[in-house]
Amino acid sequence: MQRLLARLLLGVVIITTVLAGIYLTVVASNVHTARRLWEMENQMAAVMRENQGLMAEIARLSSIPVLQERSVALGYQPAKSIDYLYLGEP
Amino acid sequence: MLHGPDARLRLITVLLIAALLPILGQLVRLQVLEHSQYQNEAETLVSRQYSLPEAPWGVIMDRNGDLLVGNVPVYNVGAEINLITDTMMAASVLAPLLNRPEEELLATLTLTQSTQTLQWRPLTNRVPAETAQKLRELGWSWITLSPTWERYYAEGAMACHTLGFVNASGMGYGVQAFQLRFLRGDRVQRVGPVSGDTSPLPDELLNDSLTPYPGTDLRLTIDRTIQAFVEGVLDQAIVDYKAAGGTIIVMNPRTGEILAVASRPNYEPHRYPEYMEKGQESIFRDPAVSIPYEPGSVFKVITVAAAYDSGRADMNWTYNDLGKLEYGGASIRNSDGAAYGQQGLQGILDYSLNVGAATLSTQVLGADLFYKYVRAFGFGQTTGIELTGEAAGIVHLPTDWDWNDSHLATNSFGQGIAVTPLQMAVAISAVANDGVMMEPRIVLERQYADGRIVPIPARELGRPISAETAHVVAEMMAHSVEKIAEAAQVPGYRVAGKSGTAQIPTTGGYDPQQVIVSYAGFGPVPNPQVVVLVNLERPDVPAHMRWGMHIAAPVFQKVISRVLILMGVPPSDVRAAQ
Repeated sequence: MQRLLARLLLGVVIITTVLAGIYLTVVASNVHTARRLWEMENQMAAVMRENQGLMAEIARLSSIPVLQERSVALGYQPAKSIDYLYLGEP
Repeated sequence: MLHGPDARLRLITVLLIAALLPILGQLVRLQVLEHSQYQNEAETLVSRQYSLPEAPWGVIMDRNGDLLVGNVPVYNVGAEINLITDTMMAASVLAPLLNRPEEELLATLTLTQSTQTLQWRPLTNRVPAETAQKLRELGWSWITLSPTWERYYAEGAMACHTLGFVNASGMGYGVQAFQLRFLRGDRVQRVGPVSGDTSPLPDELLNDSLTPYPGTDLRLTIDRTIQAFVEGVLDQAIVDYKAAGGTIIVMNPRTGEILAVASRPNYEPHRYPEYMEKGQESIFRDPAVSIPYEPGSVFKVITVAAAYDSGRADMNWTYNDLGKLEYGGASIRNSDGAAYGQQGLQGILDYSLNVGAATLSTQVLGADLFYKYVRAFGFGQTTGIELTGEAAGIVHLPTDWDWNDSHLATNSFGQGIAVTPLQMAVAISAVANDGVMMEPRIVLERQYADGRIVPIPARELGRPISAETAHVVAEMMAHSVEKIAEAAQVPGYRVAGKSGTAQIPTTGGYDPQQVIVSYAGFGPVPNPQVVVLVNLERPDVPAHMRWGMHIAAPVFQKVISRVLILMGVPPSDVRAAQ
């Protein structure tokens, strides 16, 4: 009887330990995932900020005054006359 | 006395139970009886509002995808001043970085009275990322950097009235104020337990995403290249003719798309607080849509179109122009005071005859029919463009309390009636578009952050005149340009147009010196692709030059000749050969 009780007690202890281990693992994993998620969301916000900054910089570099300045420096001039050539269908 | 181990064991048990009872009692008190009170206290201690940095507003692009308004990441800087160890040194280091006087900064950073609670004070707003990085490198934990955004206008003041701005309280001008509900991003904010570094606890994070929603991007109908060209022409015209202001509108009559709209005076949208500080808010009003003017002779196009469309006057209709007409107590004269004899509809447009236009409105059409057409062309009502502050203009109707019989005569040649430049351009576009008047559009499509693209469809405002009338009037206008308006002619293209010179109303009459000169037209004819309206306000040139034909027509010519090329519209002879 006493041996049976001892085994039962041991079984309960083992099952409890296993369940507790599983619970702790899940909780730890959740915490880790949540922390990672927070980091990634922060990273995403930072990338979004960087992206917007780069878009603004591209727009600055390709703005009309900058393009005009670069075109003039490269020797381009506004077109003074345009000739249209009409090619009729054969 | 108890004896023996059993008895001692019982005693110990009783003592232990007795010792546990108060603990159990306290547990019941804390966890059950006063649970909610302590729960609230605990939540107050650890609960904070938390969120990720706010998402950017939607950007604004031109029709080709070139950025017009974007976002620049900036930071608001603050300080928890009771954590500062050396205030003098902090002020001297921060002053050049934050661009603030050292004494002023010292006063801000100095704790006036000892306190246990954390004292936070704002130091400056909107510092660039480079400055924020330098502040981080100082390693001072008491400096707080809050990420935020600043609107960036890639082309400076270009299209400022169209783009507009929005202030901190959500008020503003232009398309940004009109489309604010789409442009503004949504920040996801929650309240919950946070850790020591104020980031939310893991359980909180698993509830839902905190990623903010960026605003919706807008693609406008504006063409950046055409806009830049038009602004350059307008600036040059204002210098050449010493004008006080002006407006040029370029639109596609087939779709109602505004390709360019430039107005002077203009402003730099990102500096709007400075203008407000100086009390210059009036500069924000867009002359193209918010400030009505008397259109003058350009309005004769509407009168002639109405007369022809009503069937009361055809190309054979004539009247005897005596150079003067009395009606409703007003004496109507031609601009040069001359009599032109027998004239028809073509003559009224060619020589811009006030007497002819007044004859049409008073003797051919009558008030009911004339104002039916005026309303059908959209005058006296807003066009529905997606810009704030659009004015309806002023049209006096016979049923109005301030109606005067003379209005019927003077309105026919654009006097005593107030319209916005946009209304005039839209009305002329009906003549260019087979009688169909399209709603003017400034937004081509909305691009949502999730990738959805929602095009804004073209919408018909109405059909004030028939297609046949539109063709006849367009032909008359083109003929008028060929015959009379050499300054508006475009080599290689057949264009149609009409000039206008309007007096400026003052209290009790009209300014004897100042005028608004204008020219409205379209090209090529037939099958017009673009409508151009030019207005120049108060040109300071000799009196004999102060006419729409002398001042606005060459500007119109300059604009339409380049725009047709930029739009890839071949010359009329090439089109005819196709």
